[in-house]
Amino acid sequence: MSDRNVSLSSALKYKGQGPYLTFILHRIGGSMIAIFVTLHILGTFFEMIGWQIGDLITDIYISPPFQIVFMFGMLFHIINGMRITILDLFPTKLIPYHRQAIVIEWIIFILVYGFAVVTTITTTIARMS
Amino acid sequence: MEVTIKIFRYNPEKDQRGHYETYTVEASENDRVLDVLELVKGHKDGTLSFRRSCAHGVCGSDAMRINGRNMLACKTLIRDVGANITVEPIMGLKVAKDLIVDMNPFFDNYKKMLPYLINDNPLPADGKERLQSPEQRARFDESTKCILCAACTTSCPSFWASDEYYGPAALVTAHRFIFDSRDEGAEQRLHVLSETNGTARCHTAYNCTEACPRDIQITKAIGELKMAMVTGKID
Repeated sequence: MSDRNVSLSSALKYKGQGPYLTFILHRIGGSMIAIFVTLHILGTFFEMIGWQIGDLITDIYISPPFQIVFMFGMLFHIINGMRITILDLFPTKLIPYHRQAIVIEWIIFILVYGFAVVTTITTTIARMS
Repeated sequence: MEVTIKIFRYNPEKDQRGHYETYTVEASENDRVLDVLELVKGHKDGTLSFRRSCAHGVCGSDAMRINGRNMLACKTLIRDVGANITVEPIMGLKVAKDLIVDMNPFFDNYKKMLPYLINDNPLPADGKERLQSPEQRARFDESTKCILCAACTTSCPSFWASDEYYGPAALVTAHRFIFDSRDEGAEQRLHVLSETNGTARCHTAYNCTEACPRDIQITKAIGELKMAMVTGKID
C-alpha cells in the first residue's frame, strides 16, 4: 500500500463546498459509530466478568452529553448514506441534482436530530426531577 | 485596485521545502488570476514558474489552487476571488517548481483507459465514416469536453489517499469511449475499471464536479460507469 499523496491536515484545508463537508461528516459519523459500538461491547464484557470499569464505560455512553454528540454522528451517517445510495442507484437522472439532494438531506437531518436532542434533554430533566 | 497575491514557492535546487512569498500589484477587478501571475513574473520576480499556454480555458495548463480550491487561473477573475489571493500548486502530484507539478502519474492513469477508438470491424461499404445518430453522440457529449487539466483528479480525496487510484479525469476518459456507439473496446475498459483502483475508489465527494472548469458532471459519469459494471449494460 502506498503512502498518502496529501496529508490529512492539507486534505481538510481544501475548500470543497457543501458536498465535501458531507463527505467529511460522513466519515466522522462512521468513526463515532465505531467508537460507540466498541465502548458498548467493552462495557458489557467488563460488567459480565465483574470488573468495575464496565460500569464506568456504560456510564459514559449512556450520559446525555455523549448521546447528543453520538446521535449527531450516527443520524448524519444514516441520512447521508441514504442520500448517497439513492443517487448512486439513479446516476443519470439524480446525480445532476446532487446539490438539491444535499439541501433536502440537511433539512431532514435538522428535523430528526432536533427531535432527538429535545427528547434526550426532556427525558434527562424528567429523570432528575 | 491593489491586489495582494501570496504564492507558493519551491525551488528544488535551493529549498528544502516550500514556502510562501507575497507580492502586491496593481490590477483591474476584471483581470484574471493568470494576468496577476504574469504581472508578478514580468515586473516583480522573474524566477516565478507556472504553466500557461492558450490562456483561454482550453489547454488546461494552468490548473492551480486559488484561495484553497482548484481552478484554472485563466478563467478566474479577480472580482470573483477578491483582492487577497493565495495561489498554490494542485495537490497530490509532486511539485517540480513553484506552481508546476509533475503530471506524469496523471497521464499514466489516463493511458490506462486506452484513450483511443477501438474498432477492428471493417469500414462501412462506402469506406467513409462510421455513422452515429445525434442521440448516440449526445450520450457521451459531456465527457468529450475534458481538457485534462487535472483539477478534478487533484481535488479528489481518494486520489489524495492513494496515488494508485486512476482518478476522475481518467474515468471520464473511459466514459467518453465506453459510451461511444462506434467503439468496441468497452469490455477491456470495464475490466480495467473493475480493478481495485478503478471506480470502486470513488466515494462521491463531488470535489471533482465542483472543481471542473468545463462543468462536466464527473460524478454522474463515474456513476454511469459503476452502473454499467453492475448491470453489464451500456445504454
